[in-house]
Amino acid sequence: MAKYVCKRIGMAILTLLIITFLLFFLVRIMPGNPFPSERMSAEQIANKRAEMGLDDPILVQFVRYMSGVLRGDFGKGTSLYNGAPIKTVLSSAISNSFRIGGIAILLGTAVGLILGITAALHRGRFLDSFCTVFSILGVCVPSYVFLIFLQYNFSFRIPFFPYFFDPSRFLFSSVIPSLSLSLFTMSTIARFTRNEMVEVFDSDYVRLAESKGMYGRNLVMKHVLRNALIPIVTVLAPLVVDLLTGALVVEKIYGINGIGKLMVDAIAGEGIDYNYVLALGILYSALYIGIMLIVDLLYGVLDPRIRVSAKEGDA
Amino acid sequence: MKKTLSLLLCVMLLVTASFTALADNDTYLGVMLGTNVMSLDTNLATDGDSFEVIADCIDGLMQMDADGAAVPAIAESYDLSDDGLTYTFHLRDAKWSNGTPVTAQDFVFAWRRIAQEAGEYAYMLDEIGNIKGAAEIIGSEKADPSTLGVSAPDDKTFVVELNVPVSFFPSLMYFPTFYPINEAFYTSLEEGTYGTSPETFLSNGAFILEDYTPGTANLSLKKNPDYWDADRIKLAGLKYQVVGSSDNALTAFRTGALHAVSISGNQVAAAEKDPELSKDLTVTGAGYLWYLSFSQTEKNAQGGMLANTNLRLAISNAIDRDNLVDNYVMDGSLATYTAVPPQFAASSTTGEDFSADQDMFSDYVGYDPDKALAYLEAAKTELGVDEFSFSMIYGNNEGDEVGKVAQAIKEDVEDALPGVTITLQPMTKAERLDKMQNDNYDIALTRWGPDYADPMTYLGMWVTNNSNNYGFWSNAEYDQLIADCTTGAYITDYDARWEAMYKAEALVMQEAVIAPLYTKALANLIAENVNGIQFHPVALNRVYKDVTME
Repeated sequence: MAKYVCKRIGMAILTLLIITFLLFFLVRIMPGNPFPSERMSAEQIANKRAEMGLDDPILVQFVRYMSGVLRGDFGKGTSLYNGAPIKTVLSSAISNSFRIGGIAILLGTAVGLILGITAALHRGRFLDSFCTVFSILGVCVPSYVFLIFLQYNFSFRIPFFPYFFDPSRFLFSSVIPSLSLSLFTMSTIARFTRNEMVEVFDSDYVRLAESKGMYGRNLVMKHVLRNALIPIVTVLAPLVVDLLTGALVVEKIYGINGIGKLMVDAIAGEGIDYNYVLALGILYSALYIGIMLIVDLLYGVLDPRIRVSAKEGDA
Repeated sequence: MKKTLSLLLCVMLLVTASFTALADNDTYLGVMLGTNVMSLDTNLATDGDSFEVIADCIDGLMQMDADGAAVPAIAESYDLSDDGLTYTFHLRDAKWSNGTPVTAQDFVFAWRRIAQEAGEYAYMLDEIGNIKGAAEIIGSEKADPSTLGVSAPDDKTFVVELNVPVSFFPSLMYFPTFYPINEAFYTSLEEGTYGTSPETFLSNGAFILEDYTPGTANLSLKKNPDYWDADRIKLAGLKYQVVGSSDNALTAFRTGALHAVSISGNQVAAAEKDPELSKDLTVTGAGYLWYLSFSQTEKNAQGGMLANTNLRLAISNAIDRDNLVDNYVMDGSLATYTAVPPQFAASSTTGEDFSADQDMFSDYVGYDPDKALAYLEAAKTELGVDEFSFSMIYGNNEGDEVGKVAQAIKEDVEDALPGVTITLQPMTKAERLDKMQNDNYDIALTRWGPDYADPMTYLGMWVTNNSNNYGFWSNAEYDQLIADCTTGAYITDYDARWEAMYKAEALVMQEAVIAPLYTKALANLIAENVNGIQFHPVALNRVYKDVTME
């Protein structure tokens, strides 16, 4: 197991390194100028480029950049929030995105599981159909449409929640964005849980357990849900990353200072900001790779068979 | 299951209820920002929104009055030497928000820092302000910033020495580039952190930073109780909200979440018909001149075809500017036929707007398809070419209307000028700028906002080798006229300088160096109970010092 974990972690780090280098190179051939100034003279811009080391060979730049990153220093923006170190800007954006995304994940998973289990237990009846319709709706309606719906109804027509995100009332103003973000997760989880559970219910080992006199909560929790969880964890992982990073439009509309909005600003702002695009690219990749790693390792915990086959694979 | 569900609902209700109780501080003015505040550092800020927030918090030597004239702020008064080269500002008693007094040394420190670090607006010190030593420091990496012509003989006296007299120098003093920074406070901070949080920023002005992180979509300022003119400030504070779309802004305005928003042209017509909104609608000048820039180098436009004056005149005369502002921009913007837009620079002797007369150059610019065709025929003969195909670049993130304006120009030109084809190339503003700076375009739909209230903020651009002269036009007579106005013969004779600038502008129009299109306006909605927001086309777009909320 330890060998397997080490190998997986090693692979993850290597992948991240390759992605970082590609990003580093690609960002530099994108159209646009890191110093989009209409007022600086050519000498001033040349001085700025030299100051940032943008005229050095790309490998030299990369090594210098990586040694900074390893020390936790992502540099400064070239055109965005130019005074502030990226670390400072990023940390407040991450904390906002993660808190709102976190609430959405918890809410989405919890309600999704409840809906899925309810549907599976009431297969073929009204509650099942209700959950199915709900999850189809939830998957089809983009989160920002739901956000606008909530914003219009519960901030404008009934002025209860704030119309824009307000950091001084974090939890309260997180309700609308978190709810709209959680919809997709909720529906996806509900659908998967229902289908997986129905499948497990029909399996021989559950029939055996039932014939042995096991029923009710004990049966559902111990045998059905646990076996149904593996595919759910697999879909949950990319959903988590999507929620943490893909709240782009929701953040923009609701005025949340998060990483999705930061990414849009870095690319489509006045100039293309090399350092922000890079830092965010690394962050996205690290998140994705990290969560995939965790999922891989979680499989082993949830399903002993995967542990065994991994061991065999190592041998 | 039912139990869990009802428990969950109860908790949610409790949480929301408890938070609503904390809600709402109505005495704050809610204001929409179109873009993020990029920086609160006077050396790094480059956009109007950032300048506005900085000016809410920091007072310079002078401030703007309702008409945009310079009136004393931190400087109680100033003297000008007889040769017009030395300004001596006498400072009043004012305090930074950490309790330390504002001194002349704070200005010396801030100005030297701008010259040394040479950000985008450093050119205000040398090219515009003509401050002694500035050009040398900004141009080189090694020059000693203490050679800048500023000094502080004592805490309350700040002296500036200029290379040549600059008639509008006092009005530069309300521009954020010239604001003070407390040296002891600045040097106590970790490098790069100045102005990145309320803790790392000092105010001496009307408001104090209350809640801010770089890149935030919502920031708030509260009234500064120690402001030297605190009695004047009636607002408890300001809440800025970055709003990406004007639809969202309009709804936010209706909810009362925002008290001042700007809306797009196609919303104006709807707002005018709405009995409630029409009362709140105010159109103000934004100062930006939108124009066409023509690349005249051989590299572009079929081997430099646009270097032909008749061809440029043909295009300029083919465009129906009234149609552009009435049917596409629709927010009260003004069709413009002068290289210097109206409404921002008035003569200090007569008070007359430099560009009040829009028919001044009607011989060269206007909407006249017949004349345009005649110019085209002349160009065809001169160039020996019958077909012209040019690309026109424009930014697709510079406003809802820009794409439509580009399309309308293309149609006008192609209708009036047979044989001329325009291909539209939308791109981001950054890419557009990059292409223009690298002389890699034929025609560009671009804009320029005035940095100071003098026609030179526009006319200075068309001098040979100016970095904003994207068309690479060059005219010795023009260069001489501008030199005379900025550093030479006319600097002490205000009226002669004014006349010389008209002469220079005439050259730009006769040769169609640019094709001016329209002067942008802003359509604002301001809540009925809010009074006293000042709008300016130059320097600080909105000032809140006299705002009251009933």
